[in-house]
Amino acid sequence: MVEDLLIQTMALSKSYGPHVALDALDLSVPYGATGLLGPNGAGKSTFLKTILGLIQATSGEGQVLGHDIRTEGELIRSRIGYMPEYDALNPNMDAIHQVRYSGELLGMNPTVALARAHQSLEYVGLGEQRYREVGSFSTGMKQATKLACALIHDPDLIIADEPSNGLDISAREFMLTTLETTIASGQRSVLMASHLMEDVERVCENIVLLHKGRLAAQGRIEDLKAIDKEVEIHVWGHATELEHDLTSSGMRVRREGRVMRIRHDGDETYNVILSAANRCGTQIRRMHDHEASLEDLFLVIMERLGYEIKGSGDLFAEVNI
Amino acid sequence: MSEEEGVAASTPITGQSRMDSAWGSGGGDEDVSASVAQATIESGQIFEQIYQPWRGILNPRWMRNWAILRHHLLGVIKKGHRPWGVFTRIALLMILLSSCSDVLLTLLAGVIGESELYSMFGVNRDNLYGHVLGFFPRNVLYYPVITALLVGGMISEDRAHGTSALYFSRPISRLDYASMKFLSVAIILFIFIDGTLALYYFTDILVMGRGWAWIIDTFPFFLSAFFGGLLIAFTYTSIGLALSSVSKGRFFPGIGLIAVIMGTRTLAAIVDGLFDKTILYVISPFDCVAHVTQALMGIEMTYDHPWTWSLASIIVINGLALYVLANRISSLEVTRE
Repeated sequence: MVEDLLIQTMALSKSYGPHVALDALDLSVPYGATGLLGPNGAGKSTFLKTILGLIQATSGEGQVLGHDIRTEGELIRSRIGYMPEYDALNPNMDAIHQVRYSGELLGMNPTVALARAHQSLEYVGLGEQRYREVGSFSTGMKQATKLACALIHDPDLIIADEPSNGLDISAREFMLTTLETTIASGQRSVLMASHLMEDVERVCENIVLLHKGRLAAQGRIEDLKAIDKEVEIHVWGHATELEHDLTSSGMRVRREGRVMRIRHDGDETYNVILSAANRCGTQIRRMHDHEASLEDLFLVIMERLGYEIKGSGDLFAEVNI
Repeated sequence: MSEEEGVAASTPITGQSRMDSAWGSGGGDEDVSASVAQATIESGQIFEQIYQPWRGILNPRWMRNWAILRHHLLGVIKKGHRPWGVFTRIALLMILLSSCSDVLLTLLAGVIGESELYSMFGVNRDNLYGHVLGFFPRNVLYYPVITALLVGGMISEDRAHGTSALYFSRPISRLDYASMKFLSVAIILFIFIDGTLALYYFTDILVMGRGWAWIIDTFPFFLSAFFGGLLIAFTYTSIGLALSSVSKGRFFPGIGLIAVIMGTRTLAAIVDGLFDKTILYVISPFDCVAHVTQALMGIEMTYDHPWTWSLASIIVINGLALYVLANRISSLEVTRE
């Protein structure tokens, strides 16, 4: 096991009877911000519960912050701040006492927990609202309170499950900025499970993509985006001919009217496109590299993932990077 | 459409009808005006977001457990902890005062020296038993009602509000969670039942000026009644929490507990009345505890079957309730409910 990794698992599996929720997961998550992605039923919740030490893995091993997930669940949970997706607050309690109690549950002295609750609520922008009952809060304020509960003991890792779920534009912006500040200025790591690719792309440097309990992709977002790198051209005249020419040259072409995207297969791609355009008498009015968004990447990966895919190795082998 | 057609001068303007729909079909000479909402000028403080690290040390397990216990117990009397409802607090106060009625009457008898009053309410074997296990009003209106009020939302609200995630995402084990919740309810019940029993007994010693001989004579009865109080507090709590753990609301566990206590007793009483058989009282938690306590205190038995059957029944009832409780708590989710 490498000690400078935030989370590391080796052949981690979890089965519920015949249903395999996690299938031989080999993960290496570095310190920093990581997005946990996957469609419903991919195994994200099971993965989170396993690394929190709440459920026992069927086989395999893993470490979080250098602690064994099988035997040191309590230690792991004391160094993690978990922000659940769903409501996890008592609506009849004031925010300040709710956050203080969450600190006390970690073993903080009540006086220290109260002082720290004030700081945490101030940090998440609820300084003026701390004596209000949680039940009277908006969704954004509830999310912020959950984040304050997670941050009260200054954890090494914050697990944020859908942190911007149901938030309006300004609340979402504030939540993402707060997470970014926590990572940049607080030097804390974040594992963020979200369906909103834009949010993950903004906050995280790395992603882990799960699919049917298996690891579909992991690594730096920038590196993974290379899977779907294309050259975009805007043409004038004989577009269909050009499309056929490029396709017959073995290029993968996607066309929408005058705009074509050709898969980038190295620097030679530009010459191939220009030669083909010359042969067909097509004007190329614009040509540039098209960088896929994380959402594009997600869709491409999910499109390519059949039932046969075994892991990220197969995926990378398929796209020949 | 081919590209040649696309650039020809005669190519009709497409989307015209849609533009007409959007902008009207006039010739463009209309008197157009538009209003735009003005941004409101806000004044306020400057919010500067600064992450403040904390380098403190987290206390061990006992402190976390104490936090849970403290949260529930102090919530009864203090704001900032578990928010018990106003009705619950008022009911608890009323029942506490009512439970002390024999204390007040003993005090009165001692102060005014009224022997008739003392003979009715002063400490003796039957009155000690009656303080804990008298059916009416204590085990109809007092103890089952406070248990119902206490257990109502104890676990079910964690399930409903998702606050179980607050516990289990922290270094709190399910055993600690269940045992501290159990202790919270049991301690409050213990104060109401055995706390007032002790107050009753020691008030008698104080106001009547009892000596060691009297204390040595009566202390075994006090201890037996005290044990009966522990047993009833434990049994009511385990049944109540089991019901709370299978529910998402306050109403079902509360009403369910009262239904179990009253329903089993009523059924057994009907069978007893019709067939003159007391055996069915073994399904009534209250009667089982009462029977065992009668045996312990050596007072006249009101049941025909052996008291050991009642003892076995208490063990089975509590075992079942704790099994349900443990089973349901182990299924409480942390990621979603």
